[in-house]
Amino acid sequence: MSVDFTNEYGQVTISNEVVSTIAGGAAIECYGIVGMASKKQFKDGLSEILGKDNFSKGVVVRQEEDQLSIDMYIIVSYGTKVSEVAHNVQNQVKYAIRKMVGLQVDSVNIYIHGVRVTS
Amino acid sequence: MASNGLKGSQFAEMILLGAHHLSNQAQMIDSLNVFPVPDGDTGTNMNLTMTSGAKEIENVSSDHVGNVANSFAKGLLMGARGNSGVILSQLFRGFSKQVQDLETIEVNDLAAALDAGVQTAYKAVMKPVEGTILTVAKDAAKAGEDAAKSTEDPIEFFEKVLEEAKQSLERTPDLLPVLKEVGVVDSGGQGLVTVYEGFLASLKGEELPKTSSASPSLDDLVNAEHHKMHQDFMETEDIEFGYCTEFMVKFEEDKLAENPFDEEQYREELSEHGDSLLVVADDEVVKVHIHAEYPGEVMTIGQRYGSLINMKIENMREQHTSIVGDKKKEEAPKKQERLAIGVVTVSMGDGIQSMFESLGATVVIEGGQTMNPSTQDIVKAIEQTNADEVLVLPNNKNIIMAAEQAQELVDNKVKVVPTKSVPQGMSAMLAYNPETDLNENHESMSEAMQYVKTGQVTYAVRDTQIDGRTIEEGNFMGISDGSIEAVNPDKMKAIEELLTAMIDDSEDEIVTILQGEEGSDEEVEQIEQFIEDKFDEIEVEVHQGNQPIYSYIFSVE
Repeated sequence: MSVDFTNEYGQVTISNEVVSTIAGGAAIECYGIVGMASKKQFKDGLSEILGKDNFSKGVVVRQEEDQLSIDMYIIVSYGTKVSEVAHNVQNQVKYAIRKMVGLQVDSVNIYIHGVRVTS
Repeated sequence: MASNGLKGSQFAEMILLGAHHLSNQAQMIDSLNVFPVPDGDTGTNMNLTMTSGAKEIENVSSDHVGNVANSFAKGLLMGARGNSGVILSQLFRGFSKQVQDLETIEVNDLAAALDAGVQTAYKAVMKPVEGTILTVAKDAAKAGEDAAKSTEDPIEFFEKVLEEAKQSLERTPDLLPVLKEVGVVDSGGQGLVTVYEGFLASLKGEELPKTSSASPSLDDLVNAEHHKMHQDFMETEDIEFGYCTEFMVKFEEDKLAENPFDEEQYREELSEHGDSLLVVADDEVVKVHIHAEYPGEVMTIGQRYGSLINMKIENMREQHTSIVGDKKKEEAPKKQERLAIGVVTVSMGDGIQSMFESLGATVVIEGGQTMNPSTQDIVKAIEQTNADEVLVLPNNKNIIMAAEQAQELVDNKVKVVPTKSVPQGMSAMLAYNPETDLNENHESMSEAMQYVKTGQVTYAVRDTQIDGRTIEEGNFMGISDGSIEAVNPDKMKAIEELLTAMIDDSEDEIVTILQGEEGSDEEVEQIEQFIEDKFDEIEVEVHQGNQPIYSYIFSVE
């Protein structure tokens, strides 16, 4: 599936990959996030931190009717207020998608997969 | 010898004044907030965070700086709100760690603590965005480091720190394009400057004016307000307050005698009439910006205090219509949410269940070797998906039949992917693409499941004969894709035999171990060691499957 809309010149199709890349890009700029985890734990290893070029692997875009929901698998930094970091990510991801592709995200679900302790 | 060191009580005073000054400026900082999300709450969030930190130190009676800083950091962490609040809490987390053992702090310690705060704050983010509070904190700490080389006086030290913080704040639009576009400085950075202003004023024993010396102009704030509004992607008819209204009231003595002017009260009153409200007053004039539905009423209120000058009113609905065009979207009729396609699968053990869920399964039925789900259970699960097309993965050869019967009993289009084991089911799930249809998925998943080999370890519950092998009660059995490869009274030996039979060094790359209820971490370590020693180039991964009966399930691919 993908997101389509039509204007007077024709149809525009936005693939889910685009949405998940934007979401991942917004997330890794969020303060308190030190990595994205892979949703495909089976193949990629459980809390392996994804490299910068494939962080969209930690993002699942789901569509139901006109509803768009996004699941994100993140790793946060030790010593931050985790609930607030998650809340900030939701806020930032929602905004980035609305701004860049004009889509209203109905829910952003955050899965905190790990906490990284830095010395 | 006189010391320039700051005591805990002095540090506490600094924090309290910083917090107080920030709360006075919160509204102004809110107005500046355009990044990362222009929702106008940076000032509010920082204020709540700082207030929580200040509250925490009010309970500290110690004059030990380390204790005060610790409590402050704890309060900030507990009350952290928003990005700026989380960053502020990190800055002082690093700061307090640096000074935790110090009774008093000298300028050198302050410089080191500011630097430690910046280090800590930068560590907690993957991609630090420059042109934000982080940059301001970093530049100010750098200035502190330099200042500490030339002075031992905390006042001089903080003057230099604040000076650089302000300059760094002025530079934020050069680093962050959106700030330049709107014509404002970064709101979080402004908040930090405000806190530092409070620190310095406290050291000097000065009163702080209600406005910050680094305050932006009203025009900048108006730009920020409009930027925020345009980010709302509203339909024209969503605009509640249609007129952008700007004016000034020039105060007149005789009117003021009758109606004394109180800025806070005036702001309160105007807020009833619209939003995006900005009010800035000095002794001669008050400047107002508001989006209101009835601009006349707002202006009439202003005329109580003097005469109106520099008036500007714009109809925002007209502007908005010309920007976005008045295309009305067709309302889709609201139906109950249905999925185009879904997956029903069967698992045993909560670890395996959550793995399937994370791979995209819609409904996971608890089942497995000895408690196979009935046809009816599968029918229920298919209906539960609320999807037009459903793929069923039985993950056990004894459930395939029930799944095929369930197919006949539901209205959904159903196809069974004949997976005989959990690893096969997982391989199939990895090939699942919710964006294509039933047939395509069925084909690619059925193909994918063939690339994985399944091994299972369990024990015999009674004496028996299978495949010409004699098996005694309590023996451990290694089963590879349904055929018994190993029988041994020793569990590890059975596992080693099984893996040796399964793994083909030249073909296979990865062994995944699903640890069951009867498995143990020690055994897993032994198994990993065994694979490492015996085979080159094979990766091993371990997951908690928590399945009953099978101590271990191996997938080899």
